[in-house]
Amino acid sequence: MKISAGLPTGVSASLFDSARRRRRLEARLSALLEERGFAEVLLPILDYFEPYRPLLTGRRLEQLYRFVDRDGQLLVLRGDFTPMLARLLAPHLDELELPLRLYYRGDVVRHQPLRPGRMREYSQLGAELLGGDEAEADEKMLTLFFDLLLAARAGRPRRMQRDVRHGLPQARGEAPAPGDGEEHTLRVVLGVAGALDEALLAAVGARKASDLALRIASRDRIAARRAGLADVVERGYPTDLSVLGGAGEAVSKLLGLRDRLSSAYRDAAIEVEVDLAEFAAAALDPRIGVGDGPRGYYDGLMFAAYAPGTALALGVGGRYDKVFRSLSGGCSAVGFSLGLDLLLELGAAETRS
Amino acid sequence: MITFGLPKGRNLDPARAALAAAGLHLDGLDSSRLRQRFPDRNVLGTPVEVLLLKDWDLPLYVEHGIVDCAIIGSDVLEETQPDVFRPLQLKDGRSRLSLIAETPELPKRSGQLRAATRYPAWAARLLAERNFHVEVIHLTSSIELGPLLDLTDVAVDIVQTGTTLRTHDLHEVEILARVAPTFVVNRASFHAYRRRLGELLGALEETEAGGD
Repeated sequence: MKISAGLPTGVSASLFDSARRRRRLEARLSALLEERGFAEVLLPILDYFEPYRPLLTGRRLEQLYRFVDRDGQLLVLRGDFTPMLARLLAPHLDELELPLRLYYRGDVVRHQPLRPGRMREYSQLGAELLGGDEAEADEKMLTLFFDLLLAARAGRPRRMQRDVRHGLPQARGEAPAPGDGEEHTLRVVLGVAGALDEALLAAVGARKASDLALRIASRDRIAARRAGLADVVERGYPTDLSVLGGAGEAVSKLLGLRDRLSSAYRDAAIEVEVDLAEFAAAALDPRIGVGDGPRGYYDGLMFAAYAPGTALALGVGGRYDKVFRSLSGGCSAVGFSLGLDLLLELGAAETRS
Repeated sequence: MITFGLPKGRNLDPARAALAAAGLHLDGLDSSRLRQRFPDRNVLGTPVEVLLLKDWDLPLYVEHGIVDCAIIGSDVLEETQPDVFRPLQLKDGRSRLSLIAETPELPKRSGQLRAATRYPAWAARLLAERNFHVEVIHLTSSIELGPLLDLTDVAVDIVQTGTTLRTHDLHEVEILARVAPTFVVNRASFHAYRRRLGELLGALEETEAGGD
């Protein structure tokens, strides 16, 4: 009988050069993390299912690969590093010296619909900062996020690959057309979980707030305009922050953070913008029932990085103090993960172009 | 340069008209050519490349970032559920997804109904919301033949003018959803071209090409 070389849906192997490239990328990023005082942790691929019930919500729980092992235990394959790390650390917080800087790398497995660039097994590298002053920690982690993206040299490539394939002027060595400059910039969008909750409830009431949150997350201009939130979709945040109620102050601080980061990374082709619509579905108010999305455990700062021509965010992160609160281990925490496969894809495109 | 995906077929004319009204003229667009480029004298202030693709393929091209934005029927979006932004719907070219039968009322069945449709996932969702017990049969064309040839009890399909229904003596039992050409944008492209696309989308709203 012939043995097939096929692999299950959503799974791929890195062989030869692709394996070398991945290890080189990991080494480059790990070196930067070590230099900044982050210590590596190695986490298991198998874990119990039960601890994740209170930590993960809706879709995230459904995406876990779970099975009963021969001892009758309900187990899961690692679907996310952050909650696993949190549940392992929470009981020992009293013994640990804070702030604590940790990083990890490895594969996660999720049963999710296949989309362009989205596999069911994929590799991540992430970092977590526990404890310390929250505002300072947020800024430090964002700076680290930016520096890792730059270290991965993820700023340009996919569009250049397209131009080569399409035989457009840039690929032929001709002068770029007006407006082409903006295509090669990496974009990092910032938001705050639950920032729109009060505005959504005030605009349409509890019954329709979930639907409006999803429409705004999808950048529906008409729905946003009718709700008096056109600014949120068009420029990312309202001109008058008071419409955000209690969240206005957090967004005001976020705008300050954006300005500092924009100024610091202007020459590095990274644009920073505040975009509350990006995180509209990350609701914290229980009356808005859409808070169980893929970023369900964040409860403060949130961020995501995009490169032109990519299907998915290169990395996402945010503050997740509520995870530790739910583990009775009160501790502030902020972190992020980067998709190594996506970064490698972009790097390969850059090399080819 | 911004790459647009436009649909071959019934949504192409409303899409072109709406873009032209908003200041993006695609003069000389040849519907037989796959890829065409237009200079930057438009509301976006940058050259535009247009790819003419089949409606059902467009969501993938947008998700992959091969095209930055596209105009796609909301029926296709509901069926394929791509992870893209949907800033607005166009007013022209609207239609409806309806439950169609040979009688003005739903046929009485003790068991579950059989429904022919080209939208198996969307139809199943809509019918489940209405507590219908339905077996959905996926057909790719001539959906009305399902009930006419007794393959199914009903059909779930797009109704635009109703001519096909009248021709075959079929009845529109219930409107299940409204369908409209929808402007969609790749997530990363939205951030990359936020200002330029914002101007085009604002112009589309002002010309009332886009609406609700």
